[in-house]
Amino acid sequence: MSRIRYFARETWTNIRRNLTLTFAAILTVAVGVMLVGMGLMAGYASGNALDRWEGGVQFEVFLNPQIDPSQIDALGIELQTHPEIDRIEFFSAEEAYALVSQQMADQPELLAQVSPEALPASYRVVPRSVEAELIESLAAQFRQRPGVMSVQTGREEVDAIRTWFTSFQGIVLLLSIVLSGASVMLIFNSIRVAMFARRREIEVMKLVGATNSFIRFPFMLEGMLHGLAGGIIGAIAAGALRGHVEGLFSRSDILAFFRSFVVTSNQFTTVVFVTVIAGVLVGMIGSAFAASRFLDV
Amino acid sequence: MIRFDNVTKLYKGETRAVNGVTLNIEKGEFVFLVGPSGSGKSTMLRLMTCEEKVTAGDIHVAGKDLSKLNSWRVPYLRRNIGSVFQDFKLLPNKTVYQNVAFALEVIGRPENVIRTQVPAILELVGLEDKHRRFPDELSGGEQQRVSIARAFVNRPLILLADEPTGNLDPDTSQELTSLLDRINRTGTTVVMATHDRTIVDRMRRRVIALRHGELVRDEQRGAYGSETDSPEALGVHPVDGASP
Ligand SMILES: Nc1ncnc2c1ncn2[C@@H]1O[C@H](COP(=O)(O)OP(=O)(O)OP(=O)(O)O)[C@@H](O)[C@H]1O
Ligand SMILES: [Mg+2]
Repeated sequence: MSRIRYFARETWTNIRRNLTLTFAAILTVAVGVMLVGMGLMAGYASGNALDRWEGGVQFEVFLNPQIDPSQIDALGIELQTHPEIDRIEFFSAEEAYALVSQQMADQPELLAQVSPEALPASYRVVPRSVEAELIESLAAQFRQRPGVMSVQTGREEVDAIRTWFTSFQGIVLLLSIVLSGASVMLIFNSIRVAMFARRREIEVMKLVGATNSFIRFPFMLEGMLHGLAGGIIGAIAAGALRGHVEGLFSRSDILAFFRSFVVTSNQFTTVVFVTVIAGVLVGMIGSAFAASRFLDV
Repeated sequence: MIRFDNVTKLYKGETRAVNGVTLNIEKGEFVFLVGPSGSGKSTMLRLMTCEEKVTAGDIHVAGKDLSKLNSWRVPYLRRNIGSVFQDFKLLPNKTVYQNVAFALEVIGRPENVIRTQVPAILELVGLEDKHRRFPDELSGGEQQRVSIARAFVNRPLILLADEPTGNLDPDTSQELTSLLDRINRTGTTVVMATHDRTIVDRMRRRVIALRHGELVRDEQRGAYGSETDSPEALGVHPVDGASP
């Protein structure tokens, strides 16, 4: 009991004594672990979005322009009655042209080169299942049908987006490593200052036979608290970032993809856990380093 | 209680602070360590608390061979040794009570022990009515008494005092020495390094004299002596013979 009170009191005095350094250390930890959380969330969100996109949404069966209408209907019936397929939608060549001309409204000279006859009609297919493999096999099945020009799944786009997110995560990871290093050094320094401020106490403690671990403990605790505070602030910041980004993307009409750019609450719990632990670790490393460097018998 | 076997201490491989000292101090003895400045008195005391390691020879303190003592056990050795210094080493932001309690707190003594031991020791040193004062509200003598209380509150086997009266006037020095004497009578071994001729001569206790790190005199009921004043007198002893 007296021990606990002693440690609490000593640690609190230390923290109060050098508030500015404490703040600098805590904020650096916070930014560092927020980046860790951000990288993690970007990974989760892109993973979630890609899962949905890749598997779920739809694929498109483009028809040969020379196909005759009975063949179109036969194919339509086959698609519609297929057990794996939920529903389909037909886009005629004219509709495709309308869409293209809408997209190229500000580039009339380009549009002029596109003739409606050259554009293929298509079926947009929504499968029942969201499994990527199943959709690939479905697509492959229809690729063989007469009158089918090509079948496009979202695979290439998905791959491109995945690559982009991977490099984004790499950059964030690198930054968070750099910042974590800076946090360790700042905590090291603030613990060193705390120990210097308390050198008389330390001298007396050694004199009367306090063990090294007893002398170190309040300083380690202080470093850990810096880390914990930084970790919590970082986690809160990560949470705010999550809310902001999800709000932004949920209103996004441009890219349906981003609407599924969400982090589930389970995943967010993991993010919070990881960021807080990362903060505590940084604090422990910095203070352990300082304590062992400046507290020899 | 304290045994030196041919102990030599070299600082940075050159300064011979202690040179081939052999001595034995029994439990319950009161010993003055005298000698001119730089003769190695403080070094001797620091060797006993493991603040410094010997260069050669063996030291036994409280039954422990210090050269074989693991570094993690050093704190436990120090719990058996109280230390008092010329500059008191009190914590200025703690009261008298807190300064003394601190010594028990940091070795993990339970609160009820602290609550009974601290007032008892403050009474022993005569500061029970000043326990709420801060060190800078006390005289030098009172501050040194606080530091003695802190050194003795854990009832160590040995009390080491390095020029405890160095900053104090003769009367106060005398009071403090009698306090150390009383502590000695409880069975605690006391070793006091000092320059204070009056005290040493009046107490008539064992005197160990050092010069250039060497033991030059060890007398059971000794006086301050002359070799500590003038180096030339060493080996001649005209004053010793002339004194009544
Ligand atoms: N930490 C140290 N590093 C190097 N040399 C030291 C150290 N401490 C003491 N010395 C040297 O060792 C010798 C003995 O010093 P010590 O402090 O033991 O003497 P002392 O008898 O206590 O002197 P004083 O009466 O002035 O306190 C001196 O020559 C001193 O310069
Ligand atoms: Mg000295």
